[in-house]
Amino acid sequence: MTNWRKFLRDRWRYFDAALALAVIIGSLVYIYDLLVGSRGLDVAYITRNYPLYLHAVFTNVYATTIAFVVGMALGFSVGWLRTARTVSVAKFAASMRVEKRERQEAPSGSEVTRRLLVVLSLLWYGTKYVVRRIGDGFVEIIRGTPLYVQILFASSFFIVFLPQYASEGILIGIIALAINTGGYQAEIFRAGLQTVHSGQVEAARAIGFSRLKAMRYVILPQALRLIIPPLTNEYIGLFKASTFLFVLGVQSEISYIAQHEGFAGDVFEIFAIVTVIFLAITVTLSFVVQALERRFRIPGLGIEQVKLPRGVRIARVGG
Amino acid sequence: MIRVEDIQKHFGALHVLRGITFDVQKAEAIVIIGPSGSGKSTLLRCINLLVEPDSGKVFIDGVHVNRHGIRHEWVRQQVGMVFQSFNLFTHLTAIENVTLGLTRVKGIPHDQAIEKARKLLARVGLAAKENAYPAELSGGQQQRVAIARALAMDPKAMLFDEPTSALDPEYIREVLDVMAALAREGMTMIVVTHEMGFASNVASRILFMDAGKIIEEGTAEDIFQNPKEDRTRSFVSKILR
Repeated sequence: MTNWRKFLRDRWRYFDAALALAVIIGSLVYIYDLLVGSRGLDVAYITRNYPLYLHAVFTNVYATTIAFVVGMALGFSVGWLRTARTVSVAKFAASMRVEKRERQEAPSGSEVTRRLLVVLSLLWYGTKYVVRRIGDGFVEIIRGTPLYVQILFASSFFIVFLPQYASEGILIGIIALAINTGGYQAEIFRAGLQTVHSGQVEAARAIGFSRLKAMRYVILPQALRLIIPPLTNEYIGLFKASTFLFVLGVQSEISYIAQHEGFAGDVFEIFAIVTVIFLAITVTLSFVVQALERRFRIPGLGIEQVKLPRGVRIARVGG
Repeated sequence: MIRVEDIQKHFGALHVLRGITFDVQKAEAIVIIGPSGSGKSTLLRCINLLVEPDSGKVFIDGVHVNRHGIRHEWVRQQVGMVFQSFNLFTHLTAIENVTLGLTRVKGIPHDQAIEKARKLLARVGLAAKENAYPAELSGGQQQRVAIARALAMDPKAMLFDEPTSALDPEYIREVLDVMAALAREGMTMIVVTHEMGFASNVASRILFMDAGKIIEEGTAEDIFQNPKEDRTRSFVSKILR
């Protein structure tokens, strides 16, 4: 009796995992039984056709990855832009009045240089202001409209303005996805950059780093660590959303369903294949990212996963 | 070495510095005291141009630095700064914190930078901790790494902004010892601190600031024992308890 208890206590987490797995498999089997139990899964269809779907999914992986990388550059730029402080029009006018008064009280330098300086600073702050507002607008529009509509819009844009490329579905698709993910990643990057403590920038500036170098060597390495999880989320989301590209004529799993088989035939087999392929990719990805996070974790920061040596327990429950 | 002439600074409607003028000779250690909000930190930041003064002049080693045509990055390499909250780069080890400026700002080869950083870490008594990350160090150790990081740039002067205010009492001593040693070796220093022992032993002069002005200036004895101004007297009586 005691031995049995000890056995259970030592291997409790295996039971735990086994139980969780059993529940998941059980519910899957139940759903399977509800859907196809009466007629059985057409295994011959799966073995015959899975390369077709694998090929389609890899088109997605390829489109998603290019779009994601391009979107990252776009997102970082817009995100950084959106952390910039802009001077409001009222403040700018006020500082101009102060400047003018001081000049009148104690004139120095020529009138021409003064005028030139005013025009230059107006240009600088004005450009900054406008560019920043465009960034804000971009993010709001991308977040506020459906991806499906954005893809159709990109397609119409090409048909009207660049008809020679209008049949390049994959190109249009990648552009649409890149702009879309750029908008979302802008927010991810902005959050990451703003989370890095301002003291870090101050310290970098104090030893002579320029703004750009402080970004490169101090802020970005810290911000990137923070945004690995939301970026992964965004990649997986984009990957799944890339199935929308079928509307552009890109061969994807959904278009096979629609064109080749129709919903009456082997539709559950198709879903089974697609589900397994997608899960295999996303689960692999999340393992890779977990490894990345462990690799780049800053020692002493955040909550560390405690690995206890064999036989050591944090607390014993009961006797 | 450092000369500040009639510095004015506003933050919006707030008038933080109202005409500050003083001189620091080479190898002098100046301590600035004053109630919070009196503009001490802003004054230090005006000297290495982390904050740009609205008007007035800052001279470092005879060079007028807050004018057009002088790169702020260059000015900041001339004066090291140590912060109240240490601000070590959290993603780098102690030695990487010290070498980052050397390799990326000064362009010194990696192995030479490491060698120099080792010497500096040994000088602040942390040779054994070179591979520790900031979060694995105590506050006192972090602040000593921060001092080594500032010294690595071979500054002509050092600014300390309340370097021990964020420390647990048992760690204050070790940081002050490093600073006192620096002063003995002839480093020009401006220190904002309320450590009266340090001020009496190390400071060549003490400035008392209130409401954006220097109210009184003198030796530790002048300021602590016979303050002339009422405001100095009431402040000193509060901090000496």
